[in-house]
Amino acid sequence: MATRTRERRGSIVTHAVLALFSLYIALPPLWVLRTSFVPEAQSYSIDLMPAFTLDNYVKLLVKDKFWLAYADSLAAATISTLLALPLAAMAGYAFARYRTGGNASRFVILATQMLPPVAIVLPVFTLFRMFDLTNSVSGLVLAYAALNLPFLTWILMGFFEGVPVELEWAAMVDGATVWRAFWRIVLPVSLPGLAAASVLGFILAWNEFLFALVLTGPDTATIPVQLASLQSQNGVQIAEVSAGVVLGVVPLLIASRFIQRYLVRGLTFGAIK
Amino acid sequence: MIQRNAKIGAKNQNSARQGGDRALASIALQDVSKTYGKVTAVADVSLQVNDGEFMILLGPSGCGKSTVLRMIAGLESVSSGEVFIGDAMVNDMAPKDRNVAVVFQSYALYPHMSVGQNLAFGLKMHDMPRAEIEQRVRRVAQMLGIDELLDRRPAALSGGQRQRVALGRALVRDPVAFLLDEPLSNLDAQLRNDMRLELVKLHRSLGRTVVHVTHDQVEAMTMGERICILRKGRVEQIGAPLDVYRHPANTFVAGFLASPPMNLIPCQVATADGTKREDGALFIEAGSVRLRVPTPYTPAYRTYNAQAAIFGIRPEDVHAEPSDPGWQAIDVEVVAVETLGAEVVLIAGIPGLEGVEFAARLGRHYRAPIGSMQRLYLDLAEMHLFDPRTTMAVPRDM
Repeated sequence: MATRTRERRGSIVTHAVLALFSLYIALPPLWVLRTSFVPEAQSYSIDLMPAFTLDNYVKLLVKDKFWLAYADSLAAATISTLLALPLAAMAGYAFARYRTGGNASRFVILATQMLPPVAIVLPVFTLFRMFDLTNSVSGLVLAYAALNLPFLTWILMGFFEGVPVELEWAAMVDGATVWRAFWRIVLPVSLPGLAAASVLGFILAWNEFLFALVLTGPDTATIPVQLASLQSQNGVQIAEVSAGVVLGVVPLLIASRFIQRYLVRGLTFGAIK
Repeated sequence: MIQRNAKIGAKNQNSARQGGDRALASIALQDVSKTYGKVTAVADVSLQVNDGEFMILLGPSGCGKSTVLRMIAGLESVSSGEVFIGDAMVNDMAPKDRNVAVVFQSYALYPHMSVGQNLAFGLKMHDMPRAEIEQRVRRVAQMLGIDELLDRRPAALSGGQRQRVALGRALVRDPVAFLLDEPLSNLDAQLRNDMRLELVKLHRSLGRTVVHVTHDQVEAMTMGERICILRKGRVEQIGAPLDVYRHPANTFVAGFLASPPMNLIPCQVATADGTKREDGALFIEAGSVRLRVPTPYTPAYRTYNAQAAIFGIRPEDVHAEPSDPGWQAIDVEVVAVETLGAEVVLIAGIPGLEGVEFAARLGRHYRAPIGSMQRLYLDLAEMHLFDPRTTMAVPRDM
């Protein structure tokens, strides 16, 4: 009897701690969700739900043409990922299997990620202006693809290292060229890795702010830039920003839900090998 | 091509071997070496595998035998030397053009394909018409008894089934040679015995060249027509299993090819009176042991008179009873008695010889208390003598 009480008490403590941490993580996004449905005037109130309205969403979509930013973000994130992924796959495979460039090149790949973006953005801006690529989504696509390439390469390299080389050998003996063995065997086997890498690449591009701010103009702003523009002299329109954040998170939720299975397996698959 | 497969299906032994419709698939290595940076994995290996021959590459792990196999398949580049398949020098030929099949130790089945797709992959790569692919896959699957499994993924197969699929993937392509890289080592003992026999039968019915890599002496002795024993990337000896067994070229081969290995005892060769006389009996002396070299061997061994040597005798040439008057007795101290069911392995120490363990394979009813002194009888007609410096066997006529 005594042990059962003690067990129950222990369980309560465990759950209390878990609940606290869950709240710590979940509260900010939940508060953003709440704020998006509250009239701007009452948005800073600490009441849980002073009033309910859809005005923020309507205003955002109709007056501020938020869907344009949405389309720009979607285009920039999707196309840049589609552009970077095949390159990253081939580069990662070369590093993993043929040790191209030795260990030094692997480090250099990672080192490019260590530079603060602020150090790169101005040279990129100057360069892109020469080619008339500023103020356009295509410029952003190029920038994102280049920025994400090292990161995706690094992730995929880990995956390919986990693929047993005998599989490729078997394919090559079976009559495949190196390229066909890569295409027909290595890539399908690494599908979880490709999925994980593409989602991460998409998320990085989707949330990116600095490059989008510098490389786009008013007509080509992405979601983060557009939301930032809602800061006016009158202060931040927090309710509208919240609505924008909620809308901005939706595709990420769908995407990660859709390939969660791959994502979880993918992240561990690469890690333990 | 189809006709030949039909013959295989009918298990018509030796039919393909006699068929003259295909290219010769002898495999030859000439002074082949493989180095990784400063590490030499394979050094100056020369080996001739005849068309249709079952060749075993035997050696401890890390001896370079798998590397040799991969160089034949084209999966590793050759650092120096030449590899021939048939008449063609294939050093720079891509694996896909060599028309050999490899069965890997891990089987390397394509995990994202069904068994049927695994079998068909190689044929697809060669742009074979779909109807023929299906026909061939069916036939090989039936032959190996995996036709029920064609729709399954490799993950849903047992070890034995995977092994068969890997074998089927090699067979279906009808290659000129099969390269097997320890294909049986992941199977349990019973299945391994079955597959060993099956592989030998398969080889007999197909008549194709087989190079089989293994570290298992039993596989080497029972499967191969010839054995090539490798150590540290070098060839130690090549020959028919029984020849190698009866006439090991050096102490390594003597020790490696059987379990328990040949007894190797450092000894002194001497005449009866300790002189360097050119005639008379010759003796092997080691600790308390003194054995008379059989007369036919004395001319060959006399060069080692008054010198150190290594005396070798296989455990099965040691007996508990003096059934033959020519056998010579030694007294040993029992260290362990391993009862294996069919036989008893006696491990013993020799008085006066520190650190030397002596093994004898005796009848299954043999028993002896640990620590007791026992008399054993050696059949010295089966003795060997090795040079202690070079470890090479001292040649004799018989």
